[in-house]
Amino acid sequence: MNYQFDFAALLPYWRDFVAGAITTIEMTVVAVAIGLVIGVLCAVARRSAYAWLRLVVGIYIEIVRNTPFIVQIFFIFFGLSSIGITMPVFFAAVFAMVINVGAYTAEIVRAGMEAVHPSQIEAAEALGLSRFQIYREIILMPAIERVYPALTSQFILMMLSTSITSQISAEELTGVANNIQSYTFRSFETYIVIALLYLAITYLLRAGFHLIALGIFPRRRRLGTPL
Amino acid sequence: MKLLTKFGIAASAALLMLASAAHADSLENIKKAGKVRIAVAMGIPQYSYVDENLKPTGSDVETAKLIAKDLGVDLDLIEITNAARVPTIQTGKADILVSALGITEERKKAVDYTVPYATLSIIVIAPKEIAIKNYADLAGKRIGVTRATTNDMDITKNAPGAQIVRFEDDATLITAAVTGQLDIISSQSAVLGGINAKRAGKEPLEVKFTQAETNLGIALPKGEKPLQDWLNTWVKTNFDNGTLREVFRKYQHRELPDDLTSR
Repeated sequence: MNYQFDFAALLPYWRDFVAGAITTIEMTVVAVAIGLVIGVLCAVARRSAYAWLRLVVGIYIEIVRNTPFIVQIFFIFFGLSSIGITMPVFFAAVFAMVINVGAYTAEIVRAGMEAVHPSQIEAAEALGLSRFQIYREIILMPAIERVYPALTSQFILMMLSTSITSQISAEELTGVANNIQSYTFRSFETYIVIALLYLAITYLLRAGFHLIALGIFPRRRRLGTPL
Repeated sequence: MKLLTKFGIAASAALLMLASAAHADSLENIKKAGKVRIAVAMGIPQYSYVDENLKPTGSDVETAKLIAKDLGVDLDLIEITNAARVPTIQTGKADILVSALGITEERKKAVDYTVPYATLSIIVIAPKEIAIKNYADLAGKRIGVTRATTNDMDITKNAPGAQIVRFEDDATLITAAVTGQLDIISSQSAVLGGINAKRAGKEPLEVKFTQAETNLGIALPKGEKPLQDWLNTWVKTNFDNGTLREVFRKYQHRELPDDLTSR
């Protein structure tokens, strides 16, 4: 136990740490925003009256949820460029994340939708709400509100998974850390610093998701109680 | 609270014991344990890679086997990544590292080296139509390197205007070049043939300029004098009797310089 900590060696690189953290946050926010839309659409499609649509979406979800994230990244980054489709690394990484988070979101939202009692839908029909109104107000929004904690933790997991994209040269927090430890040989300190940064980003995102929840779920805002 | 304190004391005592046990002479420890932990980063073409039967092979892997044999102990081959090479030795996760590690002044502050046992030429390669003659020509261009290698450090230092794209290992870098994600890469000379063989239908890559010939040393934790002396003698003996030259020629298809071990 005679390791001498030397965090001062990392000080000249603080800008790199910040840049890496910002890239991580950017990737997460973009991927989650698009992934959420795709996830909701897939959840709706899974309940569609068309068998072929249910099948296509089902296959997508099964493939993504049953393969490792790194394989999906390599597939998109190397597989697509082999057939002539190249894209910048940030785009490829975010694309892979969207596909990944979309599938998980779809399953979580679907679970929420199945929890809506049929009698509520019947009541809405009896009140003369349109199909679109029923879907939005009676099924989708309460479903999302119900599974919001699960969604939040899935999105946080996605943020942590951005570390994997350093494999395809994305300069996010882990990639930056690997560079810095190779210049300074202070690997222990470097990883302590990024662990704390990841923790900070997690809390930042959690706070963000909480504010969004207050904005979109009136019940939570007015009564302070979850569904 | 009392219980916690007791636990704390017991735990730190245990840690101290572990620490002191680990700090005996490592050559002695290796012989006592009957095995030597040698770290090798896999995915470095010709130096350390897996063959068609998925068995580790290459000049570094063979060198590691010879060292274990001459120490008279079993080989515990620890497969790591490029960026983990120095930390693995610093933190004592392996006894020695035989993994195409270039000898640099910066790294010497973190680990100890033996005399050079092999070399590595690092080059910049790109397709014919891209005009590159020196570091200055790389300005504004995307160049792929493997993170935490001497290539990375060399390009970072000498081509500040270049857009450096860093991959975790040589295999990923080569895949990027083969699939056309990148056209310009800095790597070691041994990879060129393999890349062009796989770059079917795309412009072949050619050597633009040689960055450096790096001397490679076997790395070990700081202050393990007996082990370092043993390894130095081993390298010199096996270089002079031709064993190391033979291993190198077999995988790299080129000769080691005659004055290698006195560099």
